[in-house]
Amino acid sequence: MSTSLLEVEAINSFYGDSHILFDVSLTVGRNEVVALLGRNGAGKTTTLRSIMGLVTPRSGSIRLDGRAISGLPPFEIARLGLQLVPEERAIFGQLTVEENLRLAALTAPQAWTLDRIYEFFPRLRERRRSGGRQLSGGEQQMLAIARALIRDAQVILLDEPFEGLAPLIVRDLVRISRDLAAQGRTILVVEQNVVAALSFADRVYVLNNGHVAWEGTPAALRGDPALMKAHLGV
Amino acid sequence: MPSTALLLSQAFNGLALGTLLALVASGLTIILGTLGVLNFAHGALFMLGAYAMYVVMAHTGSWLLGLLAGGVFMLVVGVALERVLVRLFYQRPHEDQILVTFGAGIVIVEAVRAYFGGNTKSVPTPSWGQGIVRLGFLFYPTYRLELIGIVAALLFALYLVLYRTSIGLVVRAGIEDARMVGVLGINVRRAFLAVFALGVLAAGAAGMLYAPIVSVQPDMGGSFLVEAFVVIVIGGLGSYPGAVVGGLIAGEIVSLTSAFNTAYSEVMLYAVMALLLVLRPQGLFGSEGRV
Amino acid sequence: MKLGRLVPEAVLTAVLLAAPFVLVHVGFSYDLLERILDWGLIGLGFDLLFGAAGLLSFGQAAFYGTGGFVAAWLLVGHHLASVWLALAAGTLAAGLVGLGVGALAVRRIGIYFTMITLAFCEMGFFLENSPLSAYTGGENGLPGVPVPQLGPWRLTSGLPIYWLLAVLFLAGFVLARRIRHSPFGAVLAAIKGNAARAGQAGHSVPGYKLAVFVIAALYAGLAGGLLGVIQSYMPPDAFSLDTSGQLVVQTIIGGVGTLIGPMVGATVWLWLRDNLQMIPHVGALWKLILGLIFVVLVVALKRGIAGELRHLFTHRRRAAAEAGVPEESTDGAPMPLAAPDLPLRAPLVATRADAPALRAIGVSKFYGGLHAVEDVSFQVRPGAIHAVIGPNGAGKSTLFKMLSEEIAPTAGRVELFGRPITGLGVTRATQLGIGKSNQLNQLFLDLSVTENIRLAALARARGRFRTDLWRGADSIPAVERQVALATATVGLTHRAAVPVQVLPYGEKRRLEIGIALATGANVLLLDEPLAGMSPAERVATRALVREIARGRTVLIVEHDMDAIFELAECITVLYEGRKLAEGTPEEIQRNQAVQDAYLGGLHEHEPA
Repeated sequence: MSTSLLEVEAINSFYGDSHILFDVSLTVGRNEVVALLGRNGAGKTTTLRSIMGLVTPRSGSIRLDGRAISGLPPFEIARLGLQLVPEERAIFGQLTVEENLRLAALTAPQAWTLDRIYEFFPRLRERRRSGGRQLSGGEQQMLAIARALIRDAQVILLDEPFEGLAPLIVRDLVRISRDLAAQGRTILVVEQNVVAALSFADRVYVLNNGHVAWEGTPAALRGDPALMKAHLGV
Repeated sequence: MPSTALLLSQAFNGLALGTLLALVASGLTIILGTLGVLNFAHGALFMLGAYAMYVVMAHTGSWLLGLLAGGVFMLVVGVALERVLVRLFYQRPHEDQILVTFGAGIVIVEAVRAYFGGNTKSVPTPSWGQGIVRLGFLFYPTYRLELIGIVAALLFALYLVLYRTSIGLVVRAGIEDARMVGVLGINVRRAFLAVFALGVLAAGAAGMLYAPIVSVQPDMGGSFLVEAFVVIVIGGLGSYPGAVVGGLIAGEIVSLTSAFNTAYSEVMLYAVMALLLVLRPQGLFGSEGRV
Repeated sequence: MKLGRLVPEAVLTAVLLAAPFVLVHVGFSYDLLERILDWGLIGLGFDLLFGAAGLLSFGQAAFYGTGGFVAAWLLVGHHLASVWLALAAGTLAAGLVGLGVGALAVRRIGIYFTMITLAFCEMGFFLENSPLSAYTGGENGLPGVPVPQLGPWRLTSGLPIYWLLAVLFLAGFVLARRIRHSPFGAVLAAIKGNAARAGQAGHSVPGYKLAVFVIAALYAGLAGGLLGVIQSYMPPDAFSLDTSGQLVVQTIIGGVGTLIGPMVGATVWLWLRDNLQMIPHVGALWKLILGLIFVVLVVALKRGIAGELRHLFTHRRRAAAEAGVPEESTDGAPMPLAAPDLPLRAPLVATRADAPALRAIGVSKFYGGLHAVEDVSFQVRPGAIHAVIGPNGAGKSTLFKMLSEEIAPTAGRVELFGRPITGLGVTRATQLGIGKSNQLNQLFLDLSVTENIRLAALARARGRFRTDLWRGADSIPAVERQVALATATVGLTHRAAVPVQVLPYGEKRRLEIGIALATGANVLLLDEPLAGMSPAERVATRALVREIARGRTVLIVEHDMDAIFELAECITVLYEGRKLAEGTPEEIQRNQAVQDAYLGGLHEHEPA
């Protein structure tokens, strides 16, 4: 698979001595949007954290553009162009919106200008002097994504971008995610909101208890209610 | 009831002591806030700054050179201490961090004592700081007055570094969530090194500036360390504004109390701290939940 | 008590008997030996505080000084004639000061605790030096402290005073060692290992911390009084910061957690000081060298002198014990079923069969604008296995923490067998009979499996707080039966003596349940008991859950739907903080809203 930008091969990850990922393999091609689905505790977040270097897999390999990145500290992985947007968003509440963005841009080789970011997220321009703590959930999520964009990251890892947000905001964010995908950005998205995730993904992996249980297209998954129910539903 | 002149003069003394405590405590608090390490060697580093000033003044007689060379020396000491020792302790329990910095403090104090001896050294007041100034009906030593201005300028410079530069941005973000700073491509460990060196510099600078008006000897840092602790308990752990305001409050408590009864000046400081612990345990500027 | 357990006491007695005759030949004067034992006496209390309970105090000098000056003032000012009474009064005064300082200090943890003790120590120094100098002599101290009279003998300086110190140190050691091995000491060790779980198991953590703080202050106070007696003079520097610091250094060098460590460290410190001070060029360096050794010991995690010696003796024995343990078979754990009823159970039980065991009434938790849980009501039938499920962020863990009283609800209340428990806090709630196994293991990693489970059983047998300092932790028959049965129920009998940190994950997970079980809870909350387990372990643990549900009520959060549908008789579904549905497994599986919630489809159906 030489066309893959991100290749994860048979990784095994642990929290302490708790075995979370079992030989998880997946690939994300250049300009591809891949969704990683599964129930709570299936290992989706751990997969993203392993790719970002926040968890070091005990075995297996991770390659970005052919270069092995597992074992590198997160800041070096980020400098290679891979960016996690974490589930808890991790906005710096004591910093303003603009300071959050400037911080993210500090080490990016080809950072976007603030203006370009604000064109993409007009709402953030209005709020640029507000402290991160004063933002609503949706604004926080926009800022979290904007921090990845301003770094001009090649690969964006989105961890549950829609969690806890009102339907209207989710619709906005789905549109933003579609725009990013249309621009040719490579995205690996983890989401519980299967309907929303399937609306902009090119390909889907389903995780179950730390194993890759299924791989295919959104259409194939939608057309298979039994599969949906077995791995994702109740 | 003490006279107005005495009260006024004590208020000035309080300002001088308060800015000093603010400077020492701000170094302590940015290290604590960012690295999570309570630096028990801070008092020894304060003392080291005073000795640096003593050495340079003794050889060259230049106060400015003392400040510059002393500043560089303190940065080197800070970098060395972080790389050799403190770095190993970021993942260890707080108790271990306290023990190792406490031990480092002993080693610094005893090394100074072994080299310079235990006697008090005196550092001359620079030529432009000699004499006294008349402020209305109050006479005040010139250097002390200038000192208030110099330290205020240093505190403002530290404010600019923390709030107007990239390194300050990284530091403030690191206080909140060091891991996320790393995820955004920033080498947190290097930022930690800078913060530690900056904190050590603040302690050392306080020592250098105050060398002419205190007796310089190896054990001089101990009581300043404890008072700086009191300051950050009052101001709130890890808060820079808290360290500055807490320092000024502490300085005034000590000075104004001694206008009424010298015996109780220090005791009052600790009594206020105890009261604050009961009424507002997170300190004036601290947020709930920080340990 | 077995005689073998008295070896340390016997060895110490022999050393104390021989010391004045042997050590005098290698630079130890009687005076030096007395001061060593005096430091060792403060150290016994400090080692209980720091070594046993993990509380690093830099304030022991305050209690040392208090004990010393109260005793000296009473004697020098002729307020008391008896040295013994004066020593007792000084000790008591130190204990009272310890109670006051401790009440403020133990409210905070970690660095805050250390800073507060240090600040109060400095406050004591200033009090002694100025406002109270009329009583303490200020910088001059108090000269002329008399020696004690024992029947017809005056205990004059030299050997007689040495024997007094030796007897008191030995007595102090015997008591400290009993405390360490008492139920009280077991709770201290638990607080050091994981204070939150100790409180969750039903022990009053602030109470035990304060108690050990006072005990340490009492030891320091007695040592302070004796200092005046040894020297016929009470020096002002007893209050100084250096005294506290020197104690910490001596403890680390001698070996923390060994009780005699501080005394061993004092031996090194004081011998070096007395014997090197005279030598030119070296005299100034001994403290620097000790400082370096101290730093190296802390960096390298070394145990100090007494610690390394003890390690040498116990290491081989422990290694043999661990080697004898059979490894767990990987294809499913051995699981002795049929949980017998535990002897120690919580007081609250169902009075009527139709009254709920646990009831949540309009429970809400808001964090600022975030509504983590909103207006959730449900009830759990006694004896049922009841499940709470929901997608990520639905508020399940927050709800569980409110049910177990780990966090207080913003609104609403919780009833256990009809009794309101809201606002009681987790410790009291556990005492009333609600137990919880946590989503992330909260174990005492340095302790053995038995000690972990015993800790929970002790809370049931002894209540929230008790100062039983003299009995053995393992001497309560009902507790030992409870421990054996709970250990067997979770299938860890073959691992009973193993330190928990070497257990594989699946066994740690079962121990997590075992601790909750051993609290004697009648209502058990299990937060993701199957998380991180292998398929074989899941099967075994499902059987375990079913087994422990016989005779108690179980509320479970779990993502393993197969397990939930097999185990639960009733399921409550949370979605975005609210109750979405409730019913039998069949009803829930047929419920369209629940399906949509899990797939995120709800949003699509709502009008924009």
